[in-house]
Amino acid sequence: MTPMSAITTTSRNSPDGEVQTVLVVDDEPTARIALVARLKRLGYRVIEAGDGKAGLEALRRERPDLTILDWMMPELDGPSFCEQIRRDPELLSSQVLMMTSHDRPEQIAEGLARGADDFLSKAASKYEITARVQAGMRTATLIRRLEDVTEEIRKKQEVLERELQSAARYVESLLPIPGRLVPSVQMVHAYRPSLGLGGDLFNVVPWSENLLGLYLLDASGHGVSSALRSASFSTFLRKDNLRHHVGSTDPGAILTEANKQFPLTEDGNYFTIIFARLDVHAQKLSFATAGHNGAFLHRRSGEISWLARPNLPLGFDSSTTYLTEELPIGPGDRLYLLSDGLYEVPDSNGELWGQDRLEKAVQMFNRRPLEDIVSGTIAEAVRWQGHEQFPDDVALMGVECIEQGSHD
Amino acid sequence: MSIHTKERPVPNGVVLELVGDLTYANREQFKVAVEAIRQKGCRHLILNMAEVRFVDSSGLGLLALVSQNFKLSQGKVSMLKPQSYVREIMSLANIQKLIPVYDNEQDALSGHQRAA
Repeated sequence: MTPMSAITTTSRNSPDGEVQTVLVVDDEPTARIALVARLKRLGYRVIEAGDGKAGLEALRRERPDLTILDWMMPELDGPSFCEQIRRDPELLSSQVLMMTSHDRPEQIAEGLARGADDFLSKAASKYEITARVQAGMRTATLIRRLEDVTEEIRKKQEVLERELQSAARYVESLLPIPGRLVPSVQMVHAYRPSLGLGGDLFNVVPWSENLLGLYLLDASGHGVSSALRSASFSTFLRKDNLRHHVGSTDPGAILTEANKQFPLTEDGNYFTIIFARLDVHAQKLSFATAGHNGAFLHRRSGEISWLARPNLPLGFDSSTTYLTEELPIGPGDRLYLLSDGLYEVPDSNGELWGQDRLEKAVQMFNRRPLEDIVSGTIAEAVRWQGHEQFPDDVALMGVECIEQGSHD
Repeated sequence: MSIHTKERPVPNGVVLELVGDLTYANREQFKVAVEAIRQKGCRHLILNMAEVRFVDSSGLGLLALVSQNFKLSQGKVSMLKPQSYVREIMSLANIQKLIPVYDNEQDALSGHQRAA
């Protein structure tokens, strides 16, 4: 008894327990029948095809683990068969063992170049046939496993992306609706989160017909966790919650309390924020900042002044008192709140667009309508970096005190 | 760019030499190095920033976290020679209020802060 004969009666199973299948494509019945009988003795399930066309159909229908293919066949020969399957995305990973009676080196080279995986001489011993078929099966198993894992990863990725999109829609649903906040104040905004889900958030607190809170916050870190933290902070900044927890509309008082409510996370994540209060009646703008320098006032006269003050971000030191500053604001003055992602965009040489160029862009637009300035400023930043995808979250909210008798 | 850390004992403290970027991508390396020093009971951590080119917003948060953690274990954190760009980022966020900045090791050790 030879060592090989001991296994001829057991069936050949793939690692997941299924019987492995071989497709034999040969137009010559005698040779085909002999090979099929040998493979069956080795324990494989065997499918036969008498020409190349029938072979392709069987391959597509049965997806065998291995195909053994004769070179010489009428109409569709072995190499052309291989070329067809390598062009077909469904079939291109099939394992093909090509058989020929005259195995000259140049012929072998041509067969491999046209898409065969291995060669088998028609004169090969039964041991060589067994060994080559087993080698082909090993490769087929590995490729199939790779395909399964890739498919699994793709599906999981799809689920994750759907969840991210749904979270992103939620975050966007928190943003204020552009338009007249009160009869004499107009607001326009743009929001371009970098990963689909942003840590930047802005909103309006409508205290009364004459009193508006306006804020823009930035959660440090990236992705889902910073978006979650931003959403939770924006809940804290709702009108009713502020009345309960702060009891004041004073920006400094609000940030001083928020600083206690939102300590550093264990990963060292935190918020920066600018909070402004617009008193329409008294024509006063009060504001406080915490590590955020993204707000400027564009006066009716053309002058631009930034509202930035060096100040600790929230959560850095629980004993910090944030102070409120006050500025006059009149009809035609425009307040812009923005994330640093708007001007910290590099061009192809790595040079940042910067606050100065942002100012110039806004001054160039001058008295054009607010919505044109907001969209135009974003377009200028895009033009600087040379593509649409911002490296960081970009948010821009423009607020204008309407001049009597204009824009209506 | 990554960050490399090397600690050097000095009287009543440890100087941590930092080389590289203090950023989101390198946060774990920095945290592990600093936490190891704190666990050993160090009371004064001096971060040498001379070879740090860049600190991002996550890096700022880590500095604040380190300062808070040392405070909790009755220690303190100082900073040596930040480069001008890093110094600018620090001052926008007013970090020197939490972590004093020094131009040389002697001043950092004695806690003597020169007028900037």
